[in-house]
Amino acid sequence: MNIHTYEKTWLAVAMVLIVGFIATITYGAVGPGIAMIDDDGGTIDPDTINDDERFSDPGVTHVGGNEYEAAVVAQAWAYTPSEITVPANSTVTFYVTSRDVTHSYTVAGTNVNTMVVPGQVSEMTVEFDEPGEYGILCNEYCGAYHHTMEGKLNVVPEDEFDLTELSTEAPDEAQLGNQTTINTTVSNDMNYDLETTATLEIGNQTVEQDQTVEQDQTVEQDVTVPAHGSETLEFAVDTTDFGTGDHDWTVTVDGHEGSGTLTVTNATEGGDGDA
Amino acid sequence: MAMRNAYIDQFPEEARVIRAALWSSFLALMIGGTLGLIQGLHRTNVLRFIPSQDYYTVLTAHGVLLVITFTIFFLVGIFTWAVTTSLDRGVKDIRFTWGWYAMMSLGTLLVGVSILGGVVDQIPMNADVLYTFYSPFQAHPAFYVGFVLFVVGTWLAGFDWFRTWWAWKKDNPDERIPLPTFMALTTMLFWYLSSIGVAISILAFLLPWSLGIIDSVNPLLTRTLFWFFGHPVVYFWLMPAYMLWYTMLPKLSGGKLFSDPLARVVFVLFLILSTPVGIHHQYLDPGIAEGFKFIAMTNTMFLLLPSLLTAFTVVASMEHGARQRGGEGYLSWLKALPWRDPAFTGMALAGLMFAAGGFSGMINAGLSINYLVHNSWWVVGHFHLTVGTAVALTFMAASYWFIPQLTGKEIWNRSLGLVQVVLWFIGMTFMSNAMHRAGLFGIPRRTAEPQYEGFSFDPAVGTVAEIDAQVALGAALLTLSVYLFITNMVLTTIGGSTSDAIPDNTYAGTLSGPEDSPAIIDNLKLWTSIAVVLVIIAYSLPLASIIDAGGLFGPGIDPWKPSVVVDPSLVLESVRGVMP
Amino acid sequence: MRISKGGLLVIMAFLTPLIVELRTVLSWFGIRLSVVETGALGLALIVAVLIWAMWPSNGDTEAKLA
Ligand code: HEM
Ligand SMILES: [Cu+2]
Ligand SMILES: [Cu+2]
Repeated sequence: MNIHTYEKTWLAVAMVLIVGFIATITYGAVGPGIAMIDDDGGTIDPDTINDDERFSDPGVTHVGGNEYEAAVVAQAWAYTPSEITVPANSTVTFYVTSRDVTHSYTVAGTNVNTMVVPGQVSEMTVEFDEPGEYGILCNEYCGAYHHTMEGKLNVVPEDEFDLTELSTEAPDEAQLGNQTTINTTVSNDMNYDLETTATLEIGNQTVEQDQTVEQDQTVEQDVTVPAHGSETLEFAVDTTDFGTGDHDWTVTVDGHEGSGTLTVTNATEGGDGDA
Repeated sequence: MAMRNAYIDQFPEEARVIRAALWSSFLALMIGGTLGLIQGLHRTNVLRFIPSQDYYTVLTAHGVLLVITFTIFFLVGIFTWAVTTSLDRGVKDIRFTWGWYAMMSLGTLLVGVSILGGVVDQIPMNADVLYTFYSPFQAHPAFYVGFVLFVVGTWLAGFDWFRTWWAWKKDNPDERIPLPTFMALTTMLFWYLSSIGVAISILAFLLPWSLGIIDSVNPLLTRTLFWFFGHPVVYFWLMPAYMLWYTMLPKLSGGKLFSDPLARVVFVLFLILSTPVGIHHQYLDPGIAEGFKFIAMTNTMFLLLPSLLTAFTVVASMEHGARQRGGEGYLSWLKALPWRDPAFTGMALAGLMFAAGGFSGMINAGLSINYLVHNSWWVVGHFHLTVGTAVALTFMAASYWFIPQLTGKEIWNRSLGLVQVVLWFIGMTFMSNAMHRAGLFGIPRRTAEPQYEGFSFDPAVGTVAEIDAQVALGAALLTLSVYLFITNMVLTTIGGSTSDAIPDNTYAGTLSGPEDSPAIIDNLKLWTSIAVVLVIIAYSLPLASIIDAGGLFGPGIDPWKPSVVVDPSLVLESVRGVMP
Repeated sequence: MRISKGGLLVIMAFLTPLIVELRTVLSWFGIRLSVVETGALGLALIVAVLIWAMWPSNGDTEAKLA
């Protein structure tokens, strides 16, 4: 075959260029260890998402050290949870799946980006160094309101981060003279036990007729919440101390608060007594 | 009266089919271009006169009309010209030729009507599934049927060209395949190979599913089958443009093609390498092992080779042409090129933009950097340079040469033609530059309102408003350019008068002819077999593992009909409802 | 005229990507041109090219080119 010298030179340059590209990209992918999306996440039947260990309660959990996992369910046109908070200097592995059509899970303007295909679980490991706030968006068309699908990613300083959650349950009303309880459930998604103190404060403001009770009450309890577990505390409240009226209360655990109002009524006014 | 020897004089029957195909193509360009302007103005919030839900109907139509209808109708027209001209014989049976044209048109009509159903209540259909129609989105069956008819129409067109060539070979047993025919045939071979993917996806899964015969599909499988076809289709659009750069551009420059053998090598490389690369569109897909993505990436990089070789040959041929016209010096030969000819200038500008598009394409192809740009507006910027300019502008430019050949009439206004191609170049510069930049800071593609409630984009340079203005300006110039083109073509065809000054129907000669290459280059069976083997290597394991993990028909995936339009706040309620 | 009208039109068209991309590239080096500045630069370049093109050329070699 008759090839002009210029052509030969060009051919050689082109081949060197191509091999160079492949080498650079291979180094870039294998060297610094940027994790690719692959088949590690496995498959899932979208109808079983609610029964799935990981996705029935999506959100961030602690794996150990500075490693975390975040499970996210995408569906037209929202993510659950829509907001993700992780600490700086952490390594977070995302597991994302879809309930309906194909979406993406994309942290805008970064290379944190994966397709979310129904039936598949996308697994993606990301290192977060600095605190910051990012937008999350869906960049794969997923129906008429695709453009409304968004979320938020907060990377907070390490010392502002925990995985403690608090929920309280208490009756709204109690009869004067009865005992009632304010139940507080503390859950801990860190991989170690959480030792802390729970505090209940009830402040009294309301006045009925000529009787005024000015009394603040604070009760403390020490608690140990096991790793990935939860603990329920009961704060017993004796309404005799308060008198009738509305009493605001606040439970504080590890910087998290739960609050409500307890209305103490006279026996004759009704109310369902002790809870 | 001088004997005119234009294509219409040589092959009047074929010229009619080609005209029909080109006009189908132009119509799609006009509608598609108009929709592009609507998109450009809507996304940037410069002007929103449709509800954002309907944006996706518009986008589906823009994608389908431009990258399927416009490009492929032009291709079948131009390949018919290439085969008949270079073999110097007509098609075997013109009724068959009209047959495949009719089939493609019917397919287009079905697809078009089903998409239109997305905005017209009277049409009880919906196909707001974009041109990629990923399951579990489910379009109306007419959409899938139309798509199949269209593709089968192209298969028959290929058969038409093959049998014309077989007949020619009988009469010319010892001759090399003429270059334009060689190009058309190699292109069709990889088209047959790759469109099997989409055929299986539709016929085995999506169509029966939309008819209720099967009740679930595997979304990753149909998606992978789509991209099995989806990358090669890119080269299917590009090959007619390459053919024009090889066979027309040197002639329009006033010279000859630098090397026929190298042109053949280039097309053989495309035949071999076009298909086993589709997974590069799925770098971010779960369920596909990293190794398979690496194979696709490596093949993709080697696919750069034929394009780099083309760049060389095209520039070298242009220089040769310029020197034939008296051009001199290192660079001043450029001045000697026929810049007043819209056919030449359009193609040259298209080639230049392709170089830029190829550059951003190399970035896309990089496995790790792809994570930054995947599905961002960067990608839209990229393919408006490649298919949207390298291909589209080449086709428009070539029409300034072909329409006179096919009608026997002079172009109505050549200066307007020159303004038109230059306007496209300027408009696309604005639009694609802004799109690329927007993608880098995260603005997504395929999104009616890329303005979010909880955050805003943070461009490293400039402002979002400036980017938006640049896109809107570019889109307006491009649409104006489309209308100038259509006006020129219409007035040429219906208004222009028949002229004897139409040049003869020929294509470029070569400096180094086919006799300089070994005969094995023309062995289409050999190259096809290699292509098949490479496809098997690249795809059998990924497909097997997708089916193994998710099942042939998926793990119980419910269809999603995009027509069910709901208020998003109700949806949020339902999200809370299903969450435990 | 040093070049044909067609050639002049094409050169002017080339200025568009030149300016648009130059602006993008300059910004990477911290030099940010506003839209007005960019427009002014573009205009200046167009005028420069026009002057160059209109300047009577010394030979007649180029005049006869297309
Ligand atoms: C008047 C000229 C054109 C304008 C103003 C225009 C504008 C646009 C815009 C703004 C988008 C982005 C939509 C989005 O991401 O939300 C788009 C998408 C697209 N355009 Fe164009 N375009 C034009 C011509 C073309 C041509 C000639 C082609 C191909 C031959 C083309 C092919 C496409 C494709 C394939 C998409 C993507 C569709 C999808 O995401 O499903 N466009 N166009
Ligand atoms: Cu989505
Ligand atoms: Cu591709």
